[in-house]
Amino acid sequence: MNQKIIIALLIALSAPLLAVGAESGTAIKADTLRAEPFADAKTVGNLSKNDALDILTKKGAWLQVKSKNNTGWVRILSVKRGVASGSGQLKGAIDVATGRAGTGKVVSTTGIRGLSAEELKAAKFNEVEIKKLEGYTLSAEEGQKFATAGGLLPSKLAYLKGAK
Amino acid sequence: MQNKMILALVVALFSSQANAIDFGKVLEDAVNQKVEEVTNGNAKSTTQAAEAPSTPIAADSATTVLPANTEAAKPIETAEPTKPTINWKNPSRDEEIALGRTIAGSLLGAAPLVNDEKLQKYVNQVGRWVASQSERPDLPWKFGVIESGDLNAFAIPGGVILVTKGLYQNLQNEAQLAGVLAHEIAHVVKKHQLKVLQKQQLVNAGSDWLKNKFGKKNKLADKAFSAGAEISARSLDKDAEFEADSMGLVLASRAGYDAYGLPEVLQTMSQVKPSDNSVALLFKTHPHPDERLAKLAENAGGKLDSVKAGKTLENRLYILK
Repeated sequence: MNQKIIIALLIALSAPLLAVGAESGTAIKADTLRAEPFADAKTVGNLSKNDALDILTKKGAWLQVKSKNNTGWVRILSVKRGVASGSGQLKGAIDVATGRAGTGKVVSTTGIRGLSAEELKAAKFNEVEIKKLEGYTLSAEEGQKFATAGGLLPSKLAYLKGAK
Repeated sequence: MQNKMILALVVALFSSQANAIDFGKVLEDAVNQKVEEVTNGNAKSTTQAAEAPSTPIAADSATTVLPANTEAAKPIETAEPTKPTINWKNPSRDEEIALGRTIAGSLLGAAPLVNDEKLQKYVNQVGRWVASQSERPDLPWKFGVIESGDLNAFAIPGGVILVTKGLYQNLQNEAQLAGVLAHEIAHVVKKHQLKVLQKQQLVNAGSDWLKNKFGKKNKLADKAFSAGAEISARSLDKDAEFEADSMGLVLASRAGYDAYGLPEVLQTMSQVKPSDNSVALLFKTHPHPDERLAKLAENAGGKLDSVKAGKTLENRLYILK
């Protein structure tokens, strides 16, 4: 009896935690929302550029998203993740869980300069460093070995539009 | 008794939920702090190394052995890095590599390699494998992480790719690293930077020729060059960047990685304020990440629908100390 109550309680309490899993995003371009994650699936709505979205889940090249009016599937590349709107504590926790925290709120670095064009123009050749770099050169075979160790399998894929 | 237990449990569970939130906040703070450290070039554990970016010139003058860009015209046959010659109209592979060496050496003069052999070996392993999927697998590809808190990466003719420490520390998995390196590899494959240099040199030579109509023949072809890191501070045209994104995504995917590594990094970049110094040079020389992401989506269309899921390998990403 006690155990049952405990289990019931655990389930009841963990439910709201699971429900917060939605990540926010923005439509990066106008696109069609589809009923299923396929190009020829039924259209259930349209996205306009900059529409705010909740990202529900991912499948292959597709994300299931919830917009103001509809829920449907859209290609991953059409969505920018983790932006603006309602950044409460919980959202912060989720952003951390997905490794996206901090990116939206980079602190000011006034007074600290980055690599500037002037600095690059003025830079002097550094023989010691270039020799060091050359020392790291690997052969194609060594690259292959590393790929195999990671279970990386090469595949054929043609370049996309935009590549001449 | 039972009631008390339940109450205790409720309290315990609620507080653990509260803890979870606080923990998230703690993590968030830690990440924010990290970002701050990165952008300030101030990481605690690497104080010594992190000082370099703020004083790259001083660090350089201490370590430079041979000045490359002195105007003293020494005989070409003597040791590098005096000016080699190059056929600017149609540079050979070896000429391209020699040119790249002077540019890379100069960039390293502004920001030296991060002093971490394991890190450098790791990026060479990832990069070498991705480069093998390109149309120029036989170049002596070299990859390095340089001491700079900026978010940026550089492609240098002949197959030298340099990534800043600031960018590296924002990566979450190996597929993202592969995506970044693949974008730069694409620049080298398409000779984007080399073409900019060629154009400039030919224009210079042309004006020389005009100034001296009776100048010696072949002056153009054999003109000695001195190229520095300044090429890396120059913008390519937008289409060259979009092309490198488009090709980079495919190269990483061909190598067996998750195709979305590069767009994920672009998303990270898009969330940094353009006024932030760590992206000043990047945003000056590249279209805004949002524009790049939109173009990538347009160029990909439905072509990734049938691509098999690749690996992200977050566990293999080398974490900087």
